[in-house]
Amino acid sequence: MSDPKLVDRLERERDTEPGDHKMPGTVVLTALLLLCFVVYYFANWKALADVWHVR
Amino acid sequence: MSIHQPPDDWFQAPHGPERVWIGLALAWCLILFLMMPYWHFRGKQNSTGEAYRTTPAEFAERVNRFIDANKVGEENGVPLVEPAPGSDIYLAAQMWRWYPALKLKKDQTYRLHVSSLDVQHGFSLQPMNMNFQILPGYDHVLTVTPTQSGDYLIICNEFCGINHHLMTGRIRVEG
Amino acid sequence: MTSLALPVGNFRTGEARTCDTTGLPVCLHAQRFIKLNAVCAVVALLVGAIGAILLGLTRWPAVHLLPADWYYRVLTLHGINMLIFWIIFLEIAILYFAGTTLLKTRLASTKLAWTSFLLMAVGAVLTNITILQGTADVMMTSYAPLQAHSNFYLGMILFAVGALLGVGNFFACVWIARRDKTYQGSMPLVAFGALAAAIIAVVAILHGAIALVPTWLWSLGLMDAPDAGWYRLLWWGIGHQSQQINVCAMVSTWYLLATLTVGAKPLNQLVCRSAFVLYVLFINIASAHHLLVDPGVSAGWKIWNTSYAMYLAVLASMIHGFTVPAAVEVAQRKKGHDRGLFGWLVKAPWANPGFSAFFLSLIIFGFIGGITGVTLGTQQINIIAHNTLRIPGHFHATVVGGTSLAFMGLCYYVVPLIFRREYAARALCRLQPYLFGIGIVLVSIGMSFAGSYGVPRRHWDVEFSGAPFAKGFDSGAHVMLGLMGIGAVLAFVGLLTFILLTVHAVFLGKRNEGRAMTAW
Repeated sequence: MSDPKLVDRLERERDTEPGDHKMPGTVVLTALLLLCFVVYYFANWKALADVWHVR
Repeated sequence: MSIHQPPDDWFQAPHGPERVWIGLALAWCLILFLMMPYWHFRGKQNSTGEAYRTTPAEFAERVNRFIDANKVGEENGVPLVEPAPGSDIYLAAQMWRWYPALKLKKDQTYRLHVSSLDVQHGFSLQPMNMNFQILPGYDHVLTVTPTQSGDYLIICNEFCGINHHLMTGRIRVEG
Repeated sequence: MTSLALPVGNFRTGEARTCDTTGLPVCLHAQRFIKLNAVCAVVALLVGAIGAILLGLTRWPAVHLLPADWYYRVLTLHGINMLIFWIIFLEIAILYFAGTTLLKTRLASTKLAWTSFLLMAVGAVLTNITILQGTADVMMTSYAPLQAHSNFYLGMILFAVGALLGVGNFFACVWIARRDKTYQGSMPLVAFGALAAAIIAVVAILHGAIALVPTWLWSLGLMDAPDAGWYRLLWWGIGHQSQQINVCAMVSTWYLLATLTVGAKPLNQLVCRSAFVLYVLFINIASAHHLLVDPGVSAGWKIWNTSYAMYLAVLASMIHGFTVPAAVEVAQRKKGHDRGLFGWLVKAPWANPGFSAFFLSLIIFGFIGGITGVTLGTQQINIIAHNTLRIPGHFHATVVGGTSLAFMGLCYYVVPLIFRREYAARALCRLQPYLFGIGIVLVSIGMSFAGSYGVPRRHWDVEFSGAPFAKGFDSGAHVMLGLMGIGAVLAFVGLLTFILLTVHAVFLGKRNEGRAMTAW
């Protein structure tokens, strides 16, 4: 393989200015995660509320 | 770069979507926390861990006294007891049985003392699916109010030896 | 075969080589121990995998394969080999890698590494033999006063001491690297994550020693039985903390694989590093999560130690859950995969098993493992979850679908880069992470929902036939147990494929010395 070494390839890519990164896909993915989280979490509180009272 | 030395100016505040996400996640984490004290004061299902020191011998004696005073019959070879509502009631966990069988009244509150006479056991009420850890030496007090009537199974859900899966008991709730 | 120039770093002649693929220096002493530990890890994985399929087929009520005594014995074997031996052997290998290659430094002590390795290997063999002899049917947790043969505890203690020495060697590498100034400023992120894992490992192993040494003495008849409640508190000090080591090692692996597969780099190093610091600081008494329905610990203690008021360890995972995919997205968009919301993801190298294993691990860990874990670990909700199948449903998503799958992805790079052998049957390699990932998702979902019906964990017969009182579970629970069984078969096939491919590559794979690894 005549590919330049990974390390050189990465070194050549300089960091761009912070702030110009776009990540809308990640935003949607994580929003979906949070939504699932909220639904599952509160469904469990509902299930708990249905069992016998205990202290 | 994750496998190389970071640039010298790596110490920078997050911004954009990353910053928003951190804020949102932190807010959610605070809600996760606040739900617990909220339920502790307002909710009807809490595990307060109320417990007293005991020994297997002492606890077995209390269980036997409780059975003698309240026995109303026998079910599958296990004594069935019907204690007075509001009273202290006893349940022993032992390889491999829950002892005795309990007959309770719906919507009445009981102080249920559970302890183990040998190894660790798991009190698991089915199909209600309520679960508590039962340890030898600890008199675990569950202040419990059955809110539905019917026949309930107590199973053991902490591994306690070769016949663990045969360890079952009964709570009957009459309304 | 070896590179002409001496690699960068503090190496003596003949002590290191330059990696032909990444250009990073590889200490040859460290390389030997990376290999040894990785091989032991895979052997433990194989033992655990055989256990896994036997257990899956026993808990699938339609099959109900093993008799009761062997079910409990194999369950003990499976838990210990998977959760302790496979993972910790591989983590020690990762520490040798991160402590030397990433810091461009040599292994601190070969003697210490040998001592560590031999103790771990002897401990693992001793414990496994004791279990198979049938004198330690106590489950991985070995809750006192249920007693195993003393060799069971002795093996675990030897293994833990060995692991601690391995961690010590890593700290010594970091110290030497700083002394010799082989890196300036801050260490690379992956090494930083490994450092966080190493710190937690020390805390965990110390808890393990406090729990297991008296228990061992008790099994020899030299001490009274430990208190059941205290044993649980201390045992989970290693039992839970060691899962946090896994999380740290897994997240570090995510960052590493994201870099190796798509050239991703962390967006904001401060955020990533702070998240690792949160793991170290807010996991101290995480054993509280296992005592939420225990007697003798108050509601206040439970609520406080579950969350430290803010769930900052959860916050850390949620942060990594954002920064890792974001780094991939940014890298992909920069390459021109810029179409729409998910063009970057569609165009990701899904045929590269390093990438697919990493990304599936991320999704399974976050969406299933994370969400169920926090929910189960909520003080009151634990009442409807404790010791049901919901618990293994959760940790098969974190530690199997998450950590193990990520580590498999790592192996697709470790073998070509460290063993310098190529994987054969490339198409099968590409398929493997999906097979395993889908299988484990079914296992996890099947277990979680069966547990919601109340089905207990560690239980041979959910029909209770022969018990004084018996009532089977709802038919929905049986459907879920069937789903788990099917998933177990799929995951087992995926796992066996991985082991065979890896063993073949390590011993018979085509050598790639002197040139870059064949790109996936």
